[in-house]
Amino acid sequence: MKYWKAGLIFLVAFLIQGSILNMISIGQSTPNVLLCLVVIFSFLYDKEMYGILFGAFFGLLYDVCYNYVYGPTAIAFLLVAVLVMLLRYYANIENTVSMAVVSLISFVTYYVLSWGLMKFTGNPVGLGYVMTKATPVIIMSMIVIIIMYKLMIKDVVKYHKDRYFR
Amino acid sequence: MKWIKKHKLISSILLLLIILVLIFVISITAGKGSNPFTSALNGGNSSVSGVLSSFGGNLRDGIEGFISNKDLKSRIDKLEEEKADLERQLAEAKLEAGQLQQLSELSGLLNYDYTKEQFNVVSCDISLRDNSSWTGVFTIDRGEEAGIREESVVISGVGLVGKVCEVGKGWAKVRPIISENNKMSFKLIRDEAQLGIVSGNSKGGFEGYMFDPESSVAESDIVVTSGMGAYPEGLEIGKVTSVTYNSDRLIKEIVVEPAVNFISLRKVAVII
Repeated sequence: MKYWKAGLIFLVAFLIQGSILNMISIGQSTPNVLLCLVVIFSFLYDKEMYGILFGAFFGLLYDVCYNYVYGPTAIAFLLVAVLVMLLRYYANIENTVSMAVVSLISFVTYYVLSWGLMKFTGNPVGLGYVMTKATPVIIMSMIVIIIMYKLMIKDVVKYHKDRYFR
Repeated sequence: MKWIKKHKLISSILLLLIILVLIFVISITAGKGSNPFTSALNGGNSSVSGVLSSFGGNLRDGIEGFISNKDLKSRIDKLEEEKADLERQLAEAKLEAGQLQQLSELSGLLNYDYTKEQFNVVSCDISLRDNSSWTGVFTIDRGEEAGIREESVVISGVGLVGKVCEVGKGWAKVRPIISENNKMSFKLIRDEAQLGIVSGNSKGGFEGYMFDPESSVAESDIVVTSGMGAYPEGLEIGKVTSVTYNSDRLIKEIVVEPAVNFISLRKVAVII
């Protein structure tokens, strides 16, 4: 995938994150599409740095528009992208279960990092509260990332179900 | 240098991380404020995402209209607006009833030209909110053109919501009160002489203490802002859910559940 295409996908996700996506909210929770993109791009593309670059850039834009301090989302996205790139060495990228496990670890890490960074801003909210709020978001994001994975794996690994294909 | 050349990827990631950490530290220590770049970015995002949001909202309302009763929904919205206005009137009335007598006596005594403190409210819709975020920050569709400033107090029909943390033309960002660590003075609505202090706690509510260790505060008591500090008097903070006596500090500690359900907010009012 070319960089501009990946950038465009991130831009669309950024624009719909706080607007049209609320339409499909269940119990006032929506999937974190930007985080899904950071995870899936870092998982599927090891040579290109889509997850790290666009994660940091759109994370910063996200903070400017949806947060009261700049940086925590960008830092969390960047670290999650690095984590996924490390995890992909131990996971089979052609397996949906691997994707699900890596994404679950990444989502939980993201919310823990996000909470930890926001603590520096004086936010009194505890990790228990954050994880309670994040649980439905993580579940919805898992569903979204599996759908994304099913759509994208065909482009990344052709004949990925054929174990003899090289 | 040799190491950097040998590990270009790791060096680039570290450099990016350092830049982001610096931005984060500067934004905490120096405070954000609005600058032309962030203002333009917020304005642009508010416009583009606002259109999408409005489209999404209309579509959702339309679908829900088939399922539930749309008239009922618009009636609820209208009632919420009216309640916010009544909240303001109540706060003003409390000021008048309790203090007007004293102030007029003082003004007569000191020959002081007293002018009644007044505040107006601007009704706003929530234009942007990310429901996947736990911080609860949202953007409203009115900004500095409506007289909204940084630190303006935001209320809903139910009670205190938070403060404006950033403002531009046609938009303002609101930080909910539960995400602030600042101490807030309150009084009981049942007995206005009973005062105390609360601040945000780890469970998304408030905790604090009463000034008087022999206070008669009890569960289900409603607490409102006392008027001392940044918030006008009489805005509902929430309901007391627990009262414990701390024998070490000799104070009565309380836990307060916020009056406002921050997730389901759709309309708010800003005190200007």
